[in-house]
Amino acid sequence: MFDASLDRLWRGAQRWALGWWRIIDLGAVVLVLLLSPSSYGRGARDRLARQIYTDTLPILPGFTALAALLSLVITHIVVVTALSYGLTRYALEMVIRVLVLELIPLTAALFVAMRTTIPSGAQLARLRQAGVLQAWRARGADPLRVELLPRVLAGAYASVTLAALSCVVALVMAYLGVYGLTTAGLSAYTRMFGQVFTPSITLVFTLKTLLFSLAVALIPMAGGLHPPPPGALLGQDGAAPASLARLFAVLLLIEALSLMGNYY
Amino acid sequence: MPETLPPPPPEELLRPVAHLRLKAAALLLLTLALIAGSVLYLLYARGAFEPTQRLVLIADDSEGVSVGMDMTFSGFPIGRVRRIELAGDGNVRIAVDVASRDAHWLRESSVFTLVRGLVGGTTIKAYSGVLTDPPLAAGAARPVLRGDATAEIPQLMATARQLLDNLQQLSAPDSALNDTLAQVRQLTQRLNAPGGALGVLMGNEQDARKVLQTLDRTQQLLARMDAVVARADRQVFGAAGQPGLVAELRATVAQASGLLQDTRQSLTRVDAVLAEAQAVGANAREASADLGALRAEVEANLRKLEGLINDINRKWPFARDQELRLP
Repeated sequence: MFDASLDRLWRGAQRWALGWWRIIDLGAVVLVLLLSPSSYGRGARDRLARQIYTDTLPILPGFTALAALLSLVITHIVVVTALSYGLTRYALEMVIRVLVLELIPLTAALFVAMRTTIPSGAQLARLRQAGVLQAWRARGADPLRVELLPRVLAGAYASVTLAALSCVVALVMAYLGVYGLTTAGLSAYTRMFGQVFTPSITLVFTLKTLLFSLAVALIPMAGGLHPPPPGALLGQDGAAPASLARLFAVLLLIEALSLMGNYY
Repeated sequence: MPETLPPPPPEELLRPVAHLRLKAAALLLLTLALIAGSVLYLLYARGAFEPTQRLVLIADDSEGVSVGMDMTFSGFPIGRVRRIELAGDGNVRIAVDVASRDAHWLRESSVFTLVRGLVGGTTIKAYSGVLTDPPLAAGAARPVLRGDATAEIPQLMATARQLLDNLQQLSAPDSALNDTLAQVRQLTQRLNAPGGALGVLMGNEQDARKVLQTLDRTQQLLARMDAVVARADRQVFGAAGQPGLVAELRATVAQASGLLQDTRQSLTRVDAVLAEAQAVGANAREASADLGALRAEVEANLRKLEGLINDINRKWPFARDQELRLP
């Protein structure tokens, strides 16, 4: 009984270590491929353009509208609350810090993961099961370059684009929510924006957005590329729940690190 | 659990997209424009494109001051803190970049304050009282006055506690103020009583009564004085049909004036008498001088006569013995 539970624990630890190692390994391989000029041949460019287009454009309007709505609602809540406490001076700064610095990048990453990269990872798993990847390999092509690199790049790109666009939309909405349709508060708003985005906070924000996009793009692909270890559960769409859990854990870790970087 | 997923439908992978390259390029351009625009806006917001001039504020404590915070003039931000450093003398040098277009608000006589509020951050404020003074030069160093609202709280609390203690002592049942109030009440009651104010002033009833008696007698005395003065008036200035002292005095003065006139005439006559007497005196003096010569002559004759008698006596044979002899 004791031996069996120890054995199960050992296997679990092995699966855990293997899963993380595959992510790190895939990340290194993708980085190498990204930096190799041969990855950007004509066929690869077409494939990349198609992947970027199909991964980003369909979700862009919906997410932008969602971000605008969310920004407007949160701005209104914060401003009304601050007004009742007599702290309106700090309301706008708080809106920018909460929305633009913290909420929007995380929401964008989660949105891209849900709508793009997790289905893309599942698609990769289906291709692997159907033997398409082996077929590419048999024809002398690298399935990592053909199938994986465009998906990873498109996922990362979608995450960055959504974060950038929704941050701009959130900034505009916060301004409109506080000042209304007037340019009178523009200089004060710009000054306050400059005070919030100090060089260190800007660096942390940029790094956070990039790491979010990498995590969102890499982890579901790593789950789809390799067969799940025996005994692992599979979801409806073929993606392993373990890789989803890893994705959320990594996103949380990056968010926690960025908060520590900003406020400690 | 075996993998039993269906293979992907081929059309999902191969569906063509119209103007794919164009759309992808547009998407990339959009992302690049967003990022580049954000970076430019951030640089603009942080004042990277704004010409500035440097102002150094010297404070004894940099608590609450952070790089990037505003310096305000009349509530409008005109500068940003760029650097905070510790000077060799232990003071803090706060380097502030003031926008050149707002630098004219700062004058040589401007005053700078560093205020820590109870809520919110520290603020640096500039005050220019005389806007006609020469403008502040670039790179000028100025001391900054500290006003710390929170630092005064302990002192304020101590003072307030002391004040409350004093108030408590004042309002205690056996306090001096309470006694005073009780005495004031007694005093008011005595004042309200008949003859109260005099009683309060004199201390007891008898003295107050004496004062009243004195007042009465003074009044009587005044009445008598009035009568005396009226009589004196009558005597001095006269009454109906009776000349007063003044009229008599006037008559006396007229008589004295006549007397004086007579005296003057008498004196004139005395003067004439004196002149005659003087002439008599002069005659007498001359006569006296003649008398002197006469006297001298008489004296000389007498001396001669005496000598003659002496000679006769000597020569006289019947000289008598004139000596008396006693038996």
